[in-house]
Amino acid sequence: MSELVAKEKEVTLLDLLDRILDKGVILFGDVTISVADVDLIYLGLKVLLTSIEKAEQMRSMAAVRQSAWDVKRET
Amino acid sequence: MKRETSSARLVTCDMIYLYAITDRPELPVPAEPGLEGTSLFSVTHQDIAAVVSPLATAKVPPTEDNLWRHEAVEEALMADRAVLPVRFGTMLADDNAVQAVLAEHYADFVATLERVRGRVELSLRVLWEADQSPTPPSSHEFPRVPQRHSGELRGTQENSGRAYLLARLEEERQRQAWRQRAEALAGEIHTPLARLAAESTRQVLITPRLLLTAAYLVERDQVAAFRREVEALGATYPALRFLCTGPWPAYNFVTVNET
Repeated sequence: MSELVAKEKEVTLLDLLDRILDKGVILFGDVTISVADVDLIYLGLKVLLTSIEKAEQMRSMAAVRQSAWDVKRET
Repeated sequence: MKRETSSARLVTCDMIYLYAITDRPELPVPAEPGLEGTSLFSVTHQDIAAVVSPLATAKVPPTEDNLWRHEAVEEALMADRAVLPVRFGTMLADDNAVQAVLAEHYADFVATLERVRGRVELSLRVLWEADQSPTPPSSHEFPRVPQRHSGELRGTQENSGRAYLLARLEEERQRQAWRQRAEALAGEIHTPLARLAAESTRQVLITPRLLLTAAYLVERDQVAAFRREVEALGATYPALRFLCTGPWPAYNFVTVNET
């Protein structure tokens, strides 16, 4: 994103998903195709999207894994 | 119908992928590649245009690359025109179908373009510490009730029932106080930011830790001022975490009434 000044990459991706899959101009009817698929995909992601915490958890889990790995290497 | 066709465009496309509705149809489409590496072109109706690209397949998987490609097209368009971003995955059969959508929603599109012109969307999420929330509402299990073998236990049973109800009442009271605190705090953060925006949306406590989720439609020349205000709020509330992203296309402010 050229103009974007985001502090967190994960947050930016979540913000993108939250917009691009759920908002914007939404057209219904027989002119559009496969929008239903996107709805399904979005529903699947919804839990992740609404809890930005998830990104935080993932990050701290990664940190834990990393330190476990560090300990392992030291021994 | 006028078409800005790139020479690279294949005539054999099966579908048309729709990125955005814009004003200024006289402008050339950006050189930005579309999905599947195709060239963008536009379909014009009066003084608005749909920016589209041909698709060889009827499936556009929402991979991270595809999502960012869609977004990159929106952003390239935002550089020199008003943009109504269309939701990812919107495909139409052919140019005629695109034309029909433009004609059918013409008035709505024009009015919405007017609202977003010169403006961008900024996203804000504010996290607060989980320990500020009360213990999550219990599973509402009834407390262990003594076996009902004889009448002598009745007194205990009544006490336990009463204690249970009182505990539930207290829990509910705390939950409400907690929510009120959240609403008040979210308001303190949202109000000064909304003042810098033409329009805004907000949701409080989508999850217990997510105090505020908001979107602001901000004039381009107010973006810097908006960021400064977010930073100032961050300094005022050091215990909270502020996550601000953007500028985005105005996804949250382009809802078009559908029939």
